[in-house]
Amino acid sequence: MGLALFYAAAFLTLLASFGVVATRNIVHAALFLLAALAGVAGLFVLLYAEFLALVQLLIYGGAIIIVILFALMLTRSGEYEGETETRRRPFAAVAAALLFGLMTAVFVADAEQFNTNTRQAIPFRTLAEDLFAAWAVPFEIASLVLLVALIGAVVIGRAGREEDETLPEDDEPDDAEGPVRRGSRRRAERRRRGV
Amino acid sequence: MEQAWLIPVFGFGAFAFLALFRKYLPGQGKHLAVLAIIAAFVAVWPVLFDMLDKGVGEHHFPRDWFSAGPLEVGWGIIVDPLTVAMLALITFVSVIVQVYSLGYMRHNGTDDSRIGWYFAVHSLFSASMLMLVLADNLLLLYVAWELVGLCSYLLIGFWFERRSAAEAAKKAFVTTRIGDVGLLIGVVLLIVEFGTVDIIEIMGSLGDPGVNQAVVTASAFLVFFGAMGKSAQFPLHVWLPDAMEGPTPVSALIHAATMVTAGVFLVARLFPLFDATDSAQMAIASIGLVTALMGAAMALVMTDLKRILAYSTMSHLGFMMLALGAGGYTAAIFHLLMHGIAKAMLFLSAGSIMHAAHEETDIRKMGGLRKRMPITSAAFTIGALALAGIPPLNAFWSKDEILLAVADGLNPVFVVLFLIAIVLSALYMGRAVLVVFFGKLKPENLDIHESPRIMAWPLALLAGLAVVTGFIALPIGYEGIGTFLVAPGDKPHAFEVVPIWLVASVVLALGGLALAYLLYGKEDTSRVDALRERFARAHDIVANRFYMDHAYQWTIDRVVLKVSGLLARFDRKVVNDVGVNGPGLGAVEAGRRLRYHVTGLFADYGLGIVVGVAVLGALLWFGV
Amino acid sequence: MTLLHFQLLSAAIFCIGLYGVLARRSAVLVLMSIELMLNAVNLQLVAFGAFSGFGTSTGQVIAVFVITIAAAEVGLALAIVMRLFRSRGGVNMDEIDVMRG
Repeated sequence: MGLALFYAAAFLTLLASFGVVATRNIVHAALFLLAALAGVAGLFVLLYAEFLALVQLLIYGGAIIIVILFALMLTRSGEYEGETETRRRPFAAVAAALLFGLMTAVFVADAEQFNTNTRQAIPFRTLAEDLFAAWAVPFEIASLVLLVALIGAVVIGRAGREEDETLPEDDEPDDAEGPVRRGSRRRAERRRRGV
Repeated sequence: MEQAWLIPVFGFGAFAFLALFRKYLPGQGKHLAVLAIIAAFVAVWPVLFDMLDKGVGEHHFPRDWFSAGPLEVGWGIIVDPLTVAMLALITFVSVIVQVYSLGYMRHNGTDDSRIGWYFAVHSLFSASMLMLVLADNLLLLYVAWELVGLCSYLLIGFWFERRSAAEAAKKAFVTTRIGDVGLLIGVVLLIVEFGTVDIIEIMGSLGDPGVNQAVVTASAFLVFFGAMGKSAQFPLHVWLPDAMEGPTPVSALIHAATMVTAGVFLVARLFPLFDATDSAQMAIASIGLVTALMGAAMALVMTDLKRILAYSTMSHLGFMMLALGAGGYTAAIFHLLMHGIAKAMLFLSAGSIMHAAHEETDIRKMGGLRKRMPITSAAFTIGALALAGIPPLNAFWSKDEILLAVADGLNPVFVVLFLIAIVLSALYMGRAVLVVFFGKLKPENLDIHESPRIMAWPLALLAGLAVVTGFIALPIGYEGIGTFLVAPGDKPHAFEVVPIWLVASVVLALGGLALAYLLYGKEDTSRVDALRERFARAHDIVANRFYMDHAYQWTIDRVVLKVSGLLARFDRKVVNDVGVNGPGLGAVEAGRRLRYHVTGLFADYGLGIVVGVAVLGALLWFGV
Repeated sequence: MTLLHFQLLSAAIFCIGLYGVLARRSAVLVLMSIELMLNAVNLQLVAFGAFSGFGTSTGQVIAVFVITIAAAEVGLALAIVMRLFRSRGGVNMDEIDVMRG
C-alpha cells in the first residue's frame, strides 16, 4: 500500500517536473511546478512529515507560485514567443544525466547500511520543541533573513521604477502617447493654481 | 683598554654628523672633523700605555652582532702591539693630513665647494681604518676592509668632474675588489673550517688535529690575494699610480700611510696562518720582491712627481711583504710605520709644491725650488733620504731590519735582489730631490712661494718625527721594538745590528745617491739621455709600466666584455624573454584566447560548475 | 519502501531542475527550476531524517529553513527580474551578459 502510494506520488512529481522544464508555455510551467510541489508534499506525508507537507502546500503553493504568476503577468513573460531553450541545451542534458548517474551510483552503493531502517514518525511536540528551543537562534536568524529579503525586494523594485522615470521617452515604446512626467505635471498644476 | 672601541666612534660620529648637517655648519663643519680625529688621536695614548702595562688584551661586547645557526658573530676588539702601533700611526697621520687639508683644500682663499663632504669621508676613512685594526673577528675586519675601499673610491674620485679622476676611482675600486673577492672566499673558508669568526681563536687552532691543512693553505693564498689588491702588489698594483688623481692629502693618508698598508696589516694580523704554510710564505716573499723591483724601476723613469711617489710606495709595500714572507714580522710592521711617516711627508711636500705651482706635477718643469720653498724642500729631502735608507733617519732602521730578516729567512737570490732594490730606491729618491729642488729655477716658476703656515707646520712636524722615530727600535725606556712588536707565537728578540749588513745597506744607499748625483746633479742631461738611448727598449718597457695596463685593457676589451656580452645576451634572451616574460606573455596570450569563452552568461558558468562538481565527485567517489 | 527510493527520486528531481537551470532562457523559468532543485534537497533531508533510525527531527527542521530561504530567494529574485525587465525590456538569460570578458 505504502509503496504503491510512493510510486504514485513519485510518478506525479517526476511528470510535473518534466513538465516544468519541457513546456514552452511559461504559465503552464508554473502550474506544472505547483503540481510537482504538491507531489513532494505527498511524499512528505509518506515520510510522516505532515507538518512539512502542510508548510509546503501553504508556502509554495500559496505564496511562491502566486508570486511567480504575478511576476509572469508583470513581465509579460507569458507572451514571449520563440525559442525557450538556449543553444547549450544538449550539454545541459548531458551534464544533468551525468550527475544523475553519479548520484545513483553513490546512493545504490551506500544503500546497504540504510536498507534495514524503517520510517519513523516524529511527534509534533518534539518537532516544535526542537525548532523553538534547540534551533531557536537559527530560527530567529531565518526570520531576519526573510525580513532583509523583503526590504531588499522592495528597494530593488522601487529603485527600478524611479530609474524608469529618468529614462528618455523613446525607451518606452509601449506608451504611444508618451507619459506625462510627474515633474511637469506638478509644474502644470502649479501653473493652474496661479502660484 | 676596554674603551679602545671608542677610538673609531669619533670618526663615525663625525661622518654621520657631517653627512647630514654639513650644509648648516660654518665651513661645512670641516673643523668638527679635525676635532674628532684629534680626539681619537688623544684617546689612543691611554690605550697604548695601558697595553704596555698589562699586555695584550681582548674585549668582547656582551651583545652579539648576529648569529646564524651555530655561528655567532659578536662585536669585539683586540688590543695588541700591532693594533696599538697601527692606531698611533693612523690617528697621527690623519690629524696631520686633515690639518694640512684645511690649507690645501683652499684655492685662492676659498674652500673647495664640497669641503664638508671631503672631511666627512676623511673621517669615515679614518674610523674604518681604526675599526679594521681593532676588529677581533674576520667579519668585522672584512666590513672595515670594504669601508676603507669605499672611502678610497670616494676620495680618489673627489674631483669627479675630471674624467680622469672618475676613471681612476673606478679602476682603484674594481682592481681592489678583485683582490677582495679572494679575501672574502678565504675568510669564508676559514669560518667554515673553524666554525668561528674570532681571529685569535682561529689562529690558535691552526695546527689542531682534524683541521684540513689544504683548506688552511688555500685560505692563506686567498687572503693574501686580498692583501695584494689593497696593498698594490704585483699584479694588482695598477690602480695605485692612477689613484694620484685624488687630492694630494688623500694620497698622503690613504695611498701612502694607511689604506695601502692594510694588506700588510692583514698578513701581519693573520701571521700564523702564513707562518704555517711555507708555500704561502714563499709566494708572499716573491710577490713582494717583484713588486719592490718593479715599483722602483718605474719610479725611476716617471716624470710625474706624484707618480714617482706612488711607485715608490708600491716598492716599499713590496719591501714589507718581502719581510713578512721572510718571517720578519717585526721588520715589516716597523717599516710600515716608518714608511708611513716618511711617505706621508713626501706626499704632503709634493702637495705643497703643487699647491704653489698651480697643480703642476711634471718634475721636468720644476727645478731650483729649494730657495723658494725652504720648508717644503727640507721636508721632502728628509723624507727622500729616509726612504733611501740614510742613517739616522727612520726608514733606515726599518730597512735594516728587513735586510736582516731577508738574509735570515730567505735564500741569497732574494738578498741580492733586495740590495738592488735598495740601490734603486736611493737612486730614484735622489733623482726626485735633485731635479725638483736643485738646479736652476724655471721661468714659469718664478712666482712660486712657500705654502701657508697651516700646511708648512705639519710638514715640519713630520720632518722632525722622521728624524727621531727610527730610534724606537732601540731599547730606550722600554724593551725595544723587537720585544714590543712580536709575532704571535714568536720569541721576542732584541734589536740587533749586524755590522756587515749595516755597512752594506748604508754603502749601497749612498752609492745610489751618488749615482743620482752623477746623473741628475748637473744641468746637462747628456748622461741620462745617453743611458736612455742605450737602453731604449728597457726604458720603453718600464716607462709603459711593463705594458700591464695595456694587457689588462686588452683583456677587458677582448675577453671580459665579450664574455659579458654573451652573458648579457643569454640574460636578455633566455632569462628575461623566456624565463621572466615568458609566463607573463603566456598568461596574456591564454587570456586573449580564453576571453571568448567568458560569455558573461550565467548558464555557461553554471554548466562549468556542474561538470566540475560531477568530475570531482566522481574522482572522490572512485577513490582516485 | 526504503531510503533508496526517496534518494533516487530526489536525485532525479534535482537533475531535472538542474537541466532547467542550465537550458532555459527565461529568467522566471530558471527560478522555477531552482525551486525544483530546492525541493529535491528538502525531500532528501526529510527522508534521511525519517530513515535515520534515531527519531531525530533535524532533517525536518533544516527543511523548514530551506523553505524559508527559498521564499526569501524567490522574493528577491523576482524583484531583480522585474527590474531587469524594466531596464532591458526582457528577461532572456542569454542577453544578460554584463559579466562578459
